[in-house]
Amino acid sequence: MRTLTLGPVGITTHRRTFAVGLIMSAALAALLVFALMQGQSNITVLDSLRAAVGIPVGAPADFIVGQVRAPRALTAVLVGAMLGLSGAILQSLTRNPLASPDFIGISAGAGAGAVLTLWLVGATSLWVTAAGAAVGALTVAALIFALSFKRGIVPLRLILAGIGMGFVAQAATQYFLTRMDVHEASNALGWLVGSVTGRTWTHVTVAAAVLAILLPPVLWHARALRTMEMGDDAARALGIRVAAARGMLAVCSVLLAAGAVAITGPIGFIALVAPAIALRLTRNAGVTLIPSALMGALLLLAADQVAQMMPTTVQLPVGVFTAAVGAPYLLWLVWRASRGGPA
Amino acid sequence: MTRLQARNAVIGYGGDPIVRGVDVEVPDGRITAIVGPNGCGKSTLLRALVRLLHPTEGTILLDGEDIHRMHTRDVARRVGLLPQSPIAPAGITVKELVARGRTPHQKVLRPWSAEDETAVLSALHSTALTDIQDAVVDELSGGQRQRAWIAMTLAQDTPVMILDEPTTYLDIAHQYDVMDLLHRLNTRQERTIVMVVHDLHQAARYAHHVIAMRDGVVAAAGAPADVFTEDLIREVFALEARVLADPVTGTPLVVPAHGPGGAR
Repeated sequence: MRTLTLGPVGITTHRRTFAVGLIMSAALAALLVFALMQGQSNITVLDSLRAAVGIPVGAPADFIVGQVRAPRALTAVLVGAMLGLSGAILQSLTRNPLASPDFIGISAGAGAGAVLTLWLVGATSLWVTAAGAAVGALTVAALIFALSFKRGIVPLRLILAGIGMGFVAQAATQYFLTRMDVHEASNALGWLVGSVTGRTWTHVTVAAAVLAILLPPVLWHARALRTMEMGDDAARALGIRVAAARGMLAVCSVLLAAGAVAITGPIGFIALVAPAIALRLTRNAGVTLIPSALMGALLLLAADQVAQMMPTTVQLPVGVFTAAVGAPYLLWLVWRASRGGPA
Repeated sequence: MTRLQARNAVIGYGGDPIVRGVDVEVPDGRITAIVGPNGCGKSTLLRALVRLLHPTEGTILLDGEDIHRMHTRDVARRVGLLPQSPIAPAGITVKELVARGRTPHQKVLRPWSAEDETAVLSALHSTALTDIQDAVVDELSGGQRQRAWIAMTLAQDTPVMILDEPTTYLDIAHQYDVMDLLHRLNTRQERTIVMVVHDLHQAARYAHHVIAMRDGVVAAAGAPADVFTEDLIREVFALEARVLADPVTGTPLVVPAHGPGGAR
């Protein structure tokens, strides 16, 4: 155990979790510098860092680093963290490693909500799109909950209802696209691929704001989340207000996924894989929120760097590369479940 | 007046109530066993006593207060529960599991205190788990695992402990291990213990107070010698039985009055 204290407040964590968190933070910082440096045009490390935080250093760096690479890399970091966090909460609440927002239709619901907003009010502001995504995601989440509820949530029903709702949401998205103006539909389609290309400081601001709003309530309920993994009865007997904590955490998880979708479009597999890797690295018993967020950030930023290095004329969207990591993991989960392990 | 009691409690899961109006007083500082046939409502009553279920009528009183008007955390500081099938998070160690018992005493952003550490070490000591505190719970034997869960409830440091079938799935030696542990906790630490048990012999040997339930009502309550009579066993369990004196302790020993295949 290790206790971090600051005056009267403090958090207790395992030494290993703390060490792994430090290493992940360092790796993330290094990867971030690499992301600012990567690509053509010779800009020094120092100039890159200055340009990234808005200190003018001269013609190419101010634009290439300050307006292109920095917002793109930071968007990847923040959205990756949102996805990692969202997946970690959902998987813990349902005690099921398959329950990630992209897998059970919540991201698809966010996508449908965002496209509907684009159709009805146009691409006015990112906040409006994000609100549309949030409404779509919450609607799908409520429907999944209603469909899988039978004296408590039945895990398999939840997964099946989620996959089904995902298809319904995708069909709705397709329908909205056919009704839209061709130009707008083409923009929306580009967004639906899921990418951090061309993201601006506005995207960074919205991502940071969403995270800043949702992170405190999530961390506040971290202990409740861990305790609920022992079963509802045990958690209640230990003084956790189970229904309230679960509702709060579920809404936060859904909103984190919706925010991520609004900013980058749906990017698959990060929310599925990041919490699982974080759990194996920290060897924690039960959910680890901060390491999951850090791992999500690392994965998405790394996947985007790989995407940029591909020798193709058109840049490949980052979702292609997250799928390359995520799909084998998913197959492994299914394989293990088919051999009678925990689903 | 005792700390924990049910007054005219009607309890169910919606639909027909399972417990149909019971008055129960849990004697302070004693071991109480709730017995009865399957489906008699004993587990339902237990769940209501620790506030997992709301009675539809009547009240559960804890220290004279309606338990449903109390804050969840206040209840958790006074009554601890060992549920029937708790889930140990994968890979958790014995000490980590026991430490979770401190949850109701902790606050967000308040670090692990010396008091928490003392309670956990003392719970590990009382359950003889100190030597294996770093073992992973999944890899323990059934008896050790049950002791770890009891230790978690102990670390919660509540004057009242409630256990739902604490000996189910254990072999006979481990069953008595758990019972002896509960007896020690009761005599040395004066904890009030309430448990649902199936084995009447264990109830008679270890409990000071027995509540026999049938069809959602209390059929009898009192000292084991007063409750375990041939008439009552017939009435509650629909079983013809002989009640002998336990050759070791002298407490009632209930044996069926028929041999194998119904021969008398």
